[in-house]
Amino acid sequence: MIYYDLNLKGSNYQNDYNLIKQANEFGWNYLNLLYSPNDYVNAIEYKDKLINDLQSLDLKNTTEIGMGIYITDSNPNEIRKIVTKYRNKVDFISVLGGKNEVNRSVLENRQIDVLSRPYYRRKDSGINHVLAKEALKNQVAIELSFKDVLTNFLSYRAKILSHFRDIILLYRKFKFPLIISTSSENIFDIRSPRDISSFFKILGLTDTELEESFNTTPKKIIEFNKHRDEYIFEGVKIVKKGKGGL
Amino acid sequence: MKMKVLPPTLRKNNRYLTLDIKSKEPFSKDDIVLVVWDACIRLFGEMETSNFNLWVMRTYQLDDREDCFHMKTILRCQRSFEDKVRSALCCITKFNGKPITIATIGLSGTISSSIDNFIKE
Repeated sequence: MIYYDLNLKGSNYQNDYNLIKQANEFGWNYLNLLYSPNDYVNAIEYKDKLINDLQSLDLKNTTEIGMGIYITDSNPNEIRKIVTKYRNKVDFISVLGGKNEVNRSVLENRQIDVLSRPYYRRKDSGINHVLAKEALKNQVAIELSFKDVLTNFLSYRAKILSHFRDIILLYRKFKFPLIISTSSENIFDIRSPRDISSFFKILGLTDTELEESFNTTPKKIIEFNKHRDEYIFEGVKIVKKGKGGL
Repeated sequence: MKMKVLPPTLRKNNRYLTLDIKSKEPFSKDDIVLVVWDACIRLFGEMETSNFNLWVMRTYQLDDREDCFHMKTILRCQRSFEDKVRSALCCITKFNGKPITIATIGLSGTISSSIDNFIKE
């Protein structure tokens, strides 16, 4: 199986290089580095160098690298503005959830790819049946971050696991896109995909559901984003001459 | 008098996990035992951990990294509990206040095959 990690926190060249090298050793096949909108401009400058340097190493697995932005704003209007500004410039947009208004506005916005951590600093999972339906309708994926398990301990960790279970319950019923990521910042955060699969299997995800959240859904998001400009609105796509048999 | 060994059908079936350990501080075998048991008991409790049949079989210190201390370990666990042990180990982040990471890089049925496949690369 090809494993996708859509949320690695990018910072600077050296750290990103070490992170990707370590992730490759563990068996990740697609890595998506996320930056704040301000840092993204710097990061895109060294992207080619990063890919060339990694290709020159004799790495175990083949790894593709993508880059995107991670919006942490808590104001829905600000988020909408940033998304409109960057949608045509970046391949991937993820928004940190947590507040009710943010969760709702993100899941209603088709331009956004992922709502990250809807349970962030909350006493509940941040998702209900209404939001689950919106996520399905607008194809905005909901992300469970393994780093939340790593950074919390005892009762806090138990609460995070409980939120994961609640989201998985809704996922089973409504079938919205769900992804699992590591949110790693350095080599000490990253784990192998098999380890994370085992962890989520314990939480109740089946093998098929794990495959969907590690492979099928992220792949669909990335493939869709490659041709996003060809979609005018839902159900209508521009077919270029020579491509679709015209 | 030495006890008679159990017949194969009554013995427990084991699996051997190869662990990749990186830490900021030097790490001994006793520390590994401590951290593995602590992680399993924290995530699954005493009752469930008692089924795991954990034992640290071998440890290897490696000098291939400059940014951290690197070692590989072979850990025994009972068959059909591999997923639970793996998930408990990947939740470890700190030991004695210093960052540490444990990732499972291999699963074998015998110690020799785990050495051949994952230690001697």
